[in-house]
Amino acid sequence: MTLTAVSQDRAPAGIGTRRDYHALNAQLNLFAPDGSIQFERDREAAAEYFRQHVIPRTVRFGSLRERIDHLIENDYYEREFIEAYRWEFVEELHRRSEDAGHRFASFLGAFKFFASYALKTFDGQRYLETFTDRAVATALYLGRGDEGLAAALAEEILSGRFQPATPTFLNAGKKQRGELVSCFLLRIEDNLESIGRAVNSALQLSKRGGGVALLLSNLRETGAPIKRIEGQASGVVPVMKILEDSFSYANQLGARQGAGAVYLHAHHPDILRFLDTKRENADEKVRIKTLSLGVVIPDITFELAKRNEPMRLFSPYDVEREYGVPLSDLSVGERYEELVRNPRIRKTEISAREFFKTIAELQFESGYPYVMFEDTVNRANPLRGRVTMSNLCSEILQVGTASTYDAALGYREVGRDVSCNLGSLNIARAMASPDFGATVETAVRGLTSVSEQTEIDAVPSVAAGNRASRAIGLGQMNLHGYLASQRIRYGGEEGVDFTNMYFYAVAYHALRASHRLARERGRAFEGFEDSAYADGSFFAKYTERVWEPATPRVRALFADAGIRLPTRADWARLRDDVVRDGIYNAYLQAVPPTGSISYINHATASIHPIAAKIEIRKEGRLGRVYFPAPHMEQSNLEYFEDAYEVGYERILDTYAAATQHVDQGLSCTLFFRDTATTRDINRAQIYAWRRGIKTLYYIRLRQQALTGTEVEGCVSCAL
Amino acid sequence: MTIADRETSLTAPSVTPPGYRRDPAARLRPINWNRVDDEKDLEVWNRLTANFWLPEKVPLSNDIPAWQRMSGEERTLTMRVFTGLTMLDTIQATVGEICQIQDARTEHEEAVYTNIAFMQSVHARSYSSVFSTLTSTPEIDAAYRWAVDNDLLQERGKKVLRHYYGEDPLKRKVSSTLLSSLLLYAGFYLPLHFSVHATLTNTADMIRLILRDKAVHGYYSGYKYQRGLERRSAAEQEEMREFTYALLEELYELELRYSGALYEPLGLMDDVAVFVRYNANKALMNLGYPARFPAEETEVNPEILAALSPGADENHDFFSGSGSSYVIGTAEDTSDEDWDF
Repeated sequence: MTLTAVSQDRAPAGIGTRRDYHALNAQLNLFAPDGSIQFERDREAAAEYFRQHVIPRTVRFGSLRERIDHLIENDYYEREFIEAYRWEFVEELHRRSEDAGHRFASFLGAFKFFASYALKTFDGQRYLETFTDRAVATALYLGRGDEGLAAALAEEILSGRFQPATPTFLNAGKKQRGELVSCFLLRIEDNLESIGRAVNSALQLSKRGGGVALLLSNLRETGAPIKRIEGQASGVVPVMKILEDSFSYANQLGARQGAGAVYLHAHHPDILRFLDTKRENADEKVRIKTLSLGVVIPDITFELAKRNEPMRLFSPYDVEREYGVPLSDLSVGERYEELVRNPRIRKTEISAREFFKTIAELQFESGYPYVMFEDTVNRANPLRGRVTMSNLCSEILQVGTASTYDAALGYREVGRDVSCNLGSLNIARAMASPDFGATVETAVRGLTSVSEQTEIDAVPSVAAGNRASRAIGLGQMNLHGYLASQRIRYGGEEGVDFTNMYFYAVAYHALRASHRLARERGRAFEGFEDSAYADGSFFAKYTERVWEPATPRVRALFADAGIRLPTRADWARLRDDVVRDGIYNAYLQAVPPTGSISYINHATASIHPIAAKIEIRKEGRLGRVYFPAPHMEQSNLEYFEDAYEVGYERILDTYAAATQHVDQGLSCTLFFRDTATTRDINRAQIYAWRRGIKTLYYIRLRQQALTGTEVEGCVSCAL
Repeated sequence: MTIADRETSLTAPSVTPPGYRRDPAARLRPINWNRVDDEKDLEVWNRLTANFWLPEKVPLSNDIPAWQRMSGEERTLTMRVFTGLTMLDTIQATVGEICQIQDARTEHEEAVYTNIAFMQSVHARSYSSVFSTLTSTPEIDAAYRWAVDNDLLQERGKKVLRHYYGEDPLKRKVSSTLLSSLLLYAGFYLPLHFSVHATLTNTADMIRLILRDKAVHGYYSGYKYQRGLERRSAAEQEEMREFTYALLEELYELELRYSGALYEPLGLMDDVAVFVRYNANKALMNLGYPARFPAEETEVNPEILAALSPGADENHDFFSGSGSSYVIGTAEDTSDEDWDF
């Protein structure tokens, strides 16, 4: 191998160093003298970045054999996943992949890849992988010796049709690595052992690179009895503080900081204390800075607000003693009147409308809480059991069950906690796939492989949940980019129609792939017999009515792409197959927000409208960089309305169309100008709930600079 | 009695509390936000209150690893730059904003300055939050000793203080605008530079929150200056123009010497000088005057200029803290029609 001399910037660049590619990239955010956006500057920045930074720092090898041997012998790559294949195949796959000629379409895409994903020498100074190398390593790792699958995955990833989520793409094949899954959901029960276990699990999972969400709904409220002595419990806030500190302590080899979310039921007596932790003027003792908050809201809360009645908050301590189940496992909506009448349940009262207003106030100040519409989620859940919470990005919605512990924190009974691994299709690229069904199937197989190669032994309830469910989350991105490239407006009639039919097709092919896996493996996920798949009822909505494009334009899009939309007969056949053989994955789809991977893949994030034509991105590892909306050109600017212009109704219409075909959830951020009031946010929440949206993610606000204080010629100020 | 008569009778014989100094016999009048004479007062008040923040909001401790990677020289520079900023914010909080209350043209302007003065104190305190999070007491004490001993820093402060305690209300406004729009910015260059290069990003977030406020403060003083100037004679206006450019020149020279001593060793001074000139022009614009420096001398690095944008439209993920985007919203009750389902 050759170690090209790294020029003067060998030492970590000091703060006095300016880098030209940063300057070129920043010009994206400044208009050219003629008022046009300087797209070409960003491409120059990407080229400059390769020339000045990447190429001089890339270690070169004489041959592939030399490179792979070096990586294995020096503990950079694991040996097993390479040796699972014939060497000729590995060579051939690399050659074919090199010939595909991958190029980064933006500066941020290239920068992000090399800063965060590419394998580096242990001193962090040199690169040992290109994008193509990383894609091939991921494909080989997920293929587990299956040449057909490895080749198919390599092609899907390199063509940009399928992009595994960060933890998978970052870690696959590396010897020194975190876990391949990114996302965990843990229940906490109302006892100190469970809380202690939760803190330990939060630390362990953060160390392994995940985001962890925890359920607080079952913890006894402030002032509840401890050992029957009244007025002793201190409620959920101290637990939140412990969790926040745990997350900032543990990080994945410094690669990224632990991140956590906590969910609380709206009718928990501590709900206002929980929300107040995010107040701008909260006392330091109760202030929560980096923990994300989510609120679980049942239908009854909306109905109480409609009637302008108070909402009763119920003591989880009393509920558990009275009904023998924790608050989260009891449908507050169904039992509301009964709980109100029961004198043995302590209750407090707040105004339901004030509750919604408080949520909106907090969302203005901090973007939090997320919202999960509890009854909508549970009506759509195909498995038996209750979904009680969501995760850090509010797209994972799965059934979990409680664990019990002995006094030394050993498991007496291992419950089911949730882990989910994600990967997303690029809609524009997938629509151009030579075989759409095969693209979906390859993605499902890749994600299933991640599940099968993951065993989180530090948290037995997560490992047990994963073994039982083999749940995956196939996501989507680049919806806005695709629609705009076809000159279709986001959230308009054709836009919503396309979204509906696209997700309809994905749902079919994902289920079909999971059915094939069940046949091959000879088993279905645990609990299949009790699910809506087993009795075929899940399929009713597809076999009892015809789903087809409502507009000629969308019909033409699928026809021109050569994608045949499944018919009722296809669904009936699939239903019969599934009823007979089962499906392998308990959950198949979840649409994540796709931050980093959409930059690398050059896609607009998730199925959102773009946040800005030129997005300003601030992240710990990158500093402040600018990203042009993918597919945007001077000629099609009008189709790149940003999310603030699109408005919440068109966003929610789009999400509603997709939601009906997604078994889990979709991260859905709402965007408001700072002229909005809490009432506007509440209206959006009511609209979302009525349209059958399952969860709401961040609320984002845009404040325009006061006239007279803006920076002249700045694209993000003007657009 | 006509409505106009009633209005005069309400305000004419009374003064707001600062008027006591001039006329102890006059009747005092409480502030009435239902009768706003200059809509700009309300607009700025609303913006300032919506932008309220405290340093505790920013997870500064996430910057500790970055701080530990920095060299001793870089750390010293950072601490000195921030101590210098603390000095200016202390001056603004305790004298610069307060002294403009007595010159206010409307009672709401008085209120706006009290708000600005408080936020200046928040800014002054926020640098201390950075220090206490990242460094040790002996280092902090050394930086404060440096600030007291540094002649250029002292001169910088005293140049504006002289006018704050002077006789002419308009000179106070000019000094205050130049401090907010010119002097502070040389100090902001460093954290902006950090934020571009992914060092101390949370500190940089906090600085952007400060910048968001300063942009409004400088703009408001400049706006009120122009309203005051309109009432002066042509000769007085000319005198003020000359005063402004002369003070700008003095402060600019001083700034180059002060910043030069700080930034020169790291080779950043050329860029900083451009940035100071850019902001000098900006200060003049706030005061309603044409630019002092030609465009080619004020071409700030695009990455710094783009980072300067005070709008709140950056995108961030949950690993990066809440950034500088959120504001305090307006609460509004929902009504029955909203719940009509």
